[in-house]
Amino acid sequence: MSHGFEGAASHSTAAPWVIEPQREGTAARAVEIWRCRRLLWFLAVRTVKDMYEGMTLGIFWLFARPLFPILVGGFVFGGLLRLPSDGVPFVLFFMTGFVPWSLFDRSILFGTKCLDQHKSLIKRLYFPRLISPVASVAPAAAYFVIYMVLLTLVALFYVWKDGVLYVRVGPTLLVALLMSVFAVFCALSVVLWTCVFQARHKETRFGLRYFMQFWMYLTPVFYPISLVPPEHRWLIFVNPMASVVATFRWGILGVGEVPLVPLATSFVVAVAAMAAGVWFFTVNESSTIDRL
Amino acid sequence: MNQLIVEGLGKRYELASSADERTPTGVLRRLAVRVRRSTTNGQEREQSREFWALRDVSFLVEPGTVLGVIGANGAGKTTLLKILARIITPTEGRVVGSGRVVSLLELGAGFDPDLSARENIFLNAAMLGVPRAVVTRRFDQILEFAEVDTFVDTPLKHYSSGMYLRLAFSVAINMEPSILLADEILAVGDESFQERCLERVKQEAERGLTVLFVSHDMEAIVRVCDRTLWLNAGRVLGFGDSEEVVADYQTSVWARGMTGSERGRHVNRFAIIHDVKVVTEDGREVRGMPTNEMTYLRMRFELLENHLCACAAYDVRARGQLIFRTADPLGMRVFRTGGMWEALMRLPHRFFNEMTYSVVPSLTVAREGEGRRQYVLMGEPLSFIVYAPDGTERREKDVRASGYLTPQFRWKFQRVDEQPEGVQGVARF
Repeated sequence: MSHGFEGAASHSTAAPWVIEPQREGTAARAVEIWRCRRLLWFLAVRTVKDMYEGMTLGIFWLFARPLFPILVGGFVFGGLLRLPSDGVPFVLFFMTGFVPWSLFDRSILFGTKCLDQHKSLIKRLYFPRLISPVASVAPAAAYFVIYMVLLTLVALFYVWKDGVLYVRVGPTLLVALLMSVFAVFCALSVVLWTCVFQARHKETRFGLRYFMQFWMYLTPVFYPISLVPPEHRWLIFVNPMASVVATFRWGILGVGEVPLVPLATSFVVAVAAMAAGVWFFTVNESSTIDRL
Repeated sequence: MNQLIVEGLGKRYELASSADERTPTGVLRRLAVRVRRSTTNGQEREQSREFWALRDVSFLVEPGTVLGVIGANGAGKTTLLKILARIITPTEGRVVGSGRVVSLLELGAGFDPDLSARENIFLNAAMLGVPRAVVTRRFDQILEFAEVDTFVDTPLKHYSSGMYLRLAFSVAINMEPSILLADEILAVGDESFQERCLERVKQEAERGLTVLFVSHDMEAIVRVCDRTLWLNAGRVLGFGDSEEVVADYQTSVWARGMTGSERGRHVNRFAIIHDVKVVTEDGREVRGMPTNEMTYLRMRFELLENHLCACAAYDVRARGQLIFRTADPLGMRVFRTGGMWEALMRLPHRFFNEMTYSVVPSLTVAREGEGRRQYVLMGEPLSFIVYAPDGTERREKDVRASGYLTPQFRWKFQRVDEQPEGVQGVARF
């Protein structure tokens, strides 16, 4: 079973293992990943570091990059187009949509190139290959943390300006946190497919990037769901991410509502996609690595 | 129990598509082929696009064995090690083993140049799946063996390549592996470190560590490995005693190294070399010879004309080295008649060391009175094993300690102030 990842083994208490063309079951692999959690953390850190390796401004980009989409988005959609924002300042409204969306979007885009990115390690060392996509969403998580800091700052700015704390401090914040974890989960279920495609066809990420743009417009990131007439609202919830973003916003700001049924559907879809993704990745990992 | 068992292992690669196949029409054509094939017979594959890096490889290694893996480039050595290291998955067959497998396929593969040695040791341990407790216990030993104690907090990017290598090897060997996979670890590093590595590998093997050791250094293979696996084009060509397998391998490399015209030259229009054998005094053919017994090298050749001149010679090799070349001191002899002849060359006793030698016979032939000489060479050299007569296994495997030959000379001892006639003349005027 676990090859070299047994607990405190020595020569005498050596655990037997078998290497075969078929990989072992999901449970055994899950245990294996748990044993490699230190490696997961290292790989995650390394992925973030790799991104800014050799750049003059280095870590500064990590802060600079999230800032501009927020400023420009807030200005264009809120300032120029004057989209409704459920009674909160538009920048806050926009951020609470954009943060979970970008967590999802970035996770997919970073995760898709994971096999390429970790190629040098994958080709030289053995570790449970599933660690690679999981670790590769680390940059997205890093962005997320920075966004949350920005969000806090903006909220404090409005306390100073309007004297109102728009953020609803309370247990609902946990719901928002839960939604962000769920967004990563959804992203991973996609990544397990796309990273395999990416390793075989380099245009995958290229096309995906294009596609994600449209997906964002279909998700209530910079407009409230209340903008959509109630009889057509189900259409917006065909997109599983819509309910996640709406719930996240509700968790932070307390505006809008929790779309319970669509959220449950999203959950079912995501779990199914994840199961299928793990299966797909497992079936294809060895032949994909051969091609790296 | 703790054996490493490899059964029918195979690894198939699909060759990359050509540029032509990546055009839109090419993609469609391939797709059509695939569809047609799947409708007729799903199992059928395009043979031409397949490449077996490894096929039908089976062997069994007892714990504590140092197994040498040899073969030409592309023979599948690294593929085998990568499968054992789980970096790639086999296409068929299986491997059964136990304990921790540590691979040194590429030294320091898991090192992060920005981190210090201390951090890297723990990091590498994490990658090898070694518990933190083991690393903590072995930490000082690792540094000591690597001789980098004073640089423990220096980032690895400031290390010299030798320090990097030493650290990598030291980390691997100290992770308490049951199986160590070492690919060309001796290609880098200075001589003294190579020695220490081999010593350490031997020591660990005595404690039950199984080592798979890939190298092109045949001398090191024979010295360190108990058994050797010879791979060629993905298949096992030889498995067994290191010295014999290495000798066979070198023989084949030698034969392949000759150009086609050279290989054909054991036949020319004057002569054919039929065979070469080691024979005893009474004419018995033997494959090995004891160090103390008188034996002969017998070459049988056929002269195709009368009135030919010929000179026989032998190249004697051991472990890839040409040890000596010897020819008939009489030079070109005249043979009045053609037909089968045999040349017997006496091999001195107490001359060869205990190892496997290979001899390549050659003949230089010319018509009597003509200047143009033709060279005849036998493509298949003969290998013979020299062993100690009494069966006591001395087996000094280290040629560096005993040499390729162990000739015995006549010795004479004398006091310097009572110099006898012969030698005096040199010094005295």
